[in-house]
Amino acid sequence: MAKGRELISRIKSTENTRKITRTMEMVATSKMKRAVDRVAAARPYARALSDVIASLYSPELAGEFPLLRQPSQVKRAAVIVLTSNRGLAGAFNSNLIKEARQIVSRLEGDGVDVQLHAVGRKGIGYFKYVGRAMAVQRTDITDRPTADDAASLVDALMAAFAAGELDAVYVVQSQFKSVLSAPPASIRVLPVAKPEGGALPKDYLLFPSAGEILTALLPAYVRNAIYRALVETVAAEQAARRTAMKNATDNAGEMLTVLRRTYNRARQANITQEIAEIVGGAAALD
Amino acid sequence: MLKVSVISPEATLFEGEAQSVVAPAFDGEVGILSGHAAMVTVLGNGSLRLADGTAFRIEGGFMQVADNVVRVVTEKATKV
Repeated sequence: MAKGRELISRIKSTENTRKITRTMEMVATSKMKRAVDRVAAARPYARALSDVIASLYSPELAGEFPLLRQPSQVKRAAVIVLTSNRGLAGAFNSNLIKEARQIVSRLEGDGVDVQLHAVGRKGIGYFKYVGRAMAVQRTDITDRPTADDAASLVDALMAAFAAGELDAVYVVQSQFKSVLSAPPASIRVLPVAKPEGGALPKDYLLFPSAGEILTALLPAYVRNAIYRALVETVAAEQAARRTAMKNATDNAGEMLTVLRRTYNRARQANITQEIAEIVGGAAALD
Repeated sequence: MLKVSVISPEATLFEGEAQSVVAPAFDGEVGILSGHAAMVTVLGNGSLRLADGTAFRIEGGFMQVADNVVRVVTEKATKV
């Protein structure tokens, strides 16, 4: 029964694979829950900051702040590409890389000099493979990104933008809308666009002044945009991994059903054949 | 009573009521009692203290006061 033994070993190996994918699914589920909590916890800060900046922002002031500078022509831009350090998350990384390629080729088509800032092993691996130079390669950002991580990514870029060495900064991230929908997106973080937000009533006392408050808060706003991009991308990664591993577990289950059925059929055919042989043998003796 | 919230980029660290708040503004400490005028001020580095003894070490950000609601929005905050 050579075929039977072969089937048994395939059944065993599929069972083991299913055990692994099921575990990964559960790990991703619990990591995703924590990541989603962090996305939610980041919202009050973002809203408070947007409200104040939106209400102090005025087009006349825009000229005075380096971070609000609207370059008439974009010559040099930086693109921060967020990917994950680990794979087995379905199309998550390839979607982000595709989005990054689109924005880079669009910018380069307009004659913009693009420098790439790659975060995550998967993105770095891809750009290395295609032979594209990267200004920054980061693999030290974990699946629990901190505000300090965001600051370390963008502070140098803000300084370069303020000094006029850069005309735009984009970040390629996943927008975490829900567990089922986290499409990749490229978001322009510099120059700072006027945030959406409720206006403050006019009679606020402002210390030291509207201008000084904006000077202090605009960098925080940019850092927060990056922080949010990081936490949303992590949440999207875990959600994508969970879905991928759930599908893998389901597929392994289906495969097991078919394999077990084939094995049982072969076993039964074998027994039937043996009985037929015995009966035949006994009949020959009579 | 004041309704106070302390918000950092990563989480809301405190949400509750307090009799008074002392915050490290950019030019020195500022005390808030109930009935304070609506205000937005830039914060420096230092300790934020509530009347009940709760204290935070904060760095930068701003404080918004309006209708007895105090929002301390800071880039870095740790509970002391």
